[in-house]
Amino acid sequence: MNNNQQHNSRGGTRKGAGRKKGSSVYGESTKAIRVPESMVPSLTALLAFRKQQFKAQQSASEPASFIHPVTNAEPIKIPLFNCRVAAGFPSPADDYVEQTLDLNQLLIQKPAATFFVRAEGDSMIGAGIHNNDILVVDRSLEAGSGKVVICALNGELTVKRLAHHNGDLILQAENPDYPNIPIPAESDFMIWGVVTNVIHAL
Amino acid sequence: MLSQKRIALVDCNNFYVSCERLFRPDLLNKPVAVLSNNDACIVSRSAEVKALGIKMAVPVHQIKALINQHDVQLFSSNYALYADLSSRVMSLLSEFSPHQEIYSIDESFLDLTGISAADPVAYGALIRQTIMRQTGIPVCVGMGPTKTLAKLANYAAKRWQKTQGVVDLACPERRKKLMQVVPVREIWGIGSKLSSKLNTLGITHAWDLACLPSNKVTTQFNIVVARTVMELNGIPCFPLEKSTPDKQQIVCSRSFKQKLTTFDELAQAITQYTSRAAEKLRKQNSLTHLVSVSIQTNPLDSKAQHYRPSARCTLPSPSQDSRLLITTAKKLLKQIFKPGLKYQKASVTLAQLHSNQALTQTDLFPLSPTSTPPDNKNNLMQTMDEINLKFPNKIALSDTQLRKNWLYQPKNKSKRYTTDWNEIAKVACS
Repeated sequence: MNNNQQHNSRGGTRKGAGRKKGSSVYGESTKAIRVPESMVPSLTALLAFRKQQFKAQQSASEPASFIHPVTNAEPIKIPLFNCRVAAGFPSPADDYVEQTLDLNQLLIQKPAATFFVRAEGDSMIGAGIHNNDILVVDRSLEAGSGKVVICALNGELTVKRLAHHNGDLILQAENPDYPNIPIPAESDFMIWGVVTNVIHAL
Repeated sequence: MLSQKRIALVDCNNFYVSCERLFRPDLLNKPVAVLSNNDACIVSRSAEVKALGIKMAVPVHQIKALINQHDVQLFSSNYALYADLSSRVMSLLSEFSPHQEIYSIDESFLDLTGISAADPVAYGALIRQTIMRQTGIPVCVGMGPTKTLAKLANYAAKRWQKTQGVVDLACPERRKKLMQVVPVREIWGIGSKLSSKLNTLGITHAWDLACLPSNKVTTQFNIVVARTVMELNGIPCFPLEKSTPDKQQIVCSRSFKQKLTTFDELAQAITQYTSRAAEKLRKQNSLTHLVSVSIQTNPLDSKAQHYRPSARCTLPSPSQDSRLLITTAKKLLKQIFKPGLKYQKASVTLAQLHSNQALTQTDLFPLSPTSTPPDNKNNLMQTMDEINLKFPNKIALSDTQLRKNWLYQPKNKSKRYTTDWNEIAKVACS
């Protein structure tokens, strides 16, 4: 058998000649076929897509493209690193690129229970709450003495500090122009949430 | 008893009204109602409104006097607010059980089997207290060995104050006692048509239904009723669904601001409605195979005859391309439009929905040589949706009228307190 093959090997393909198998732009071997003319545009488009896909697949493993454009970004994410690294020369910082800084993470412990409201007035100026500031309110927190709280007072949402005064809890303003208020009867009063942060524009 | 399941149904009380009250403490203990999309009917009522005898789904114009007399506060529906608060409630509920089925915007099943064995009622109270405190939404918790019994328990928890909002029906004796007083129409899955049929057979209360012998049930009723009877007897037949399936049809149906008479006006409205429906379609990443359009004149107009035609059309292949859907919808409108009438309402329905993933092959070999490759289409539509998400109604297809908005503008809509920075609640520092 072996001898026979050698005898017949005058013409035909030479071993190892031509393009390497699987070295096409599609990442696999290709084949010529005849197709109806009407299908040429769609097939060309399909092939272009395959080509792109393979290219993307290949470049995904290259270090230069480890930063991908974000398509469905979470809002308010500020990237910790944003520099591209030359291909083939990995940055020593690579190992440390783990996460982005997210203001939500800093300001919100319990997303389902957190609400934003806008302050109107200056009665809480001593607590750092200015007119028009945005307050971060967490409803899951315990409203103890000393906390700045949102309460429903006579049908209106109001900001006050809960404080002890002669053994009783009172609602305290943080501005000498405003009086302290004793906590009224239950029908007119309810703690709505605890203020955790103030967002103040300069 | 050990192997018995414990399913809970957590249902928000008067959900839309409770949402409206969250940022308006002045509305507590006052009669409040929320209206349907075009401000036509009552869709959510506070306890005070229920006490006035105002029924669900009643048209507002029929109860004008009662509303004025008792100063009932009416709100247009504010779905941005309701959807946000709903997702907060659902996310908190998911912390109470590894298996949750979100059943509707204000209801969720939880599998509590093995979780609350020692004191289920205390666990239910904890759920109730947590949701109330963290979201401000009052809920009731019903528990039982099947979904149907959990629903029934919830009905009891809502109806009788003494229960303090939590009812557990693990005990067969309690079930019997309750079912003997609950009308059969209150059972989950028993519609009004079926309950009147049952009533004529002398089955008036839940207990009568539960006691029906199985051979009688299977010969006289469908399989759903048979399963309901088993569920009432504590045998689970409806398992918790893992995730809510995508919608099977998408409808955009609205009344117009004013009556429309010309074809062009209606075509613009249909175009706008189709665009909205197509947007929703792409959001759940589905393709539609069937487009249907209907228009109608005012049914309450005694002078003119009520005209309410509809037309439908199956697409050559499923699509999510607004351009194709709009062209199709307008062709359908042409078939049913009759000049000389005053149209009040139109609706566009996309049905026979398929997942986009399952069908990506269909469009790869379109017969027409000029059609664009599917990828291009998707990118165009996706880009359009993304722009419109960031800048509402900024871009549209050229025949969607941007300036003229045919949609009814609700009159008493509250602020989008939780989804728009410009509309967050104001709190007094005074």
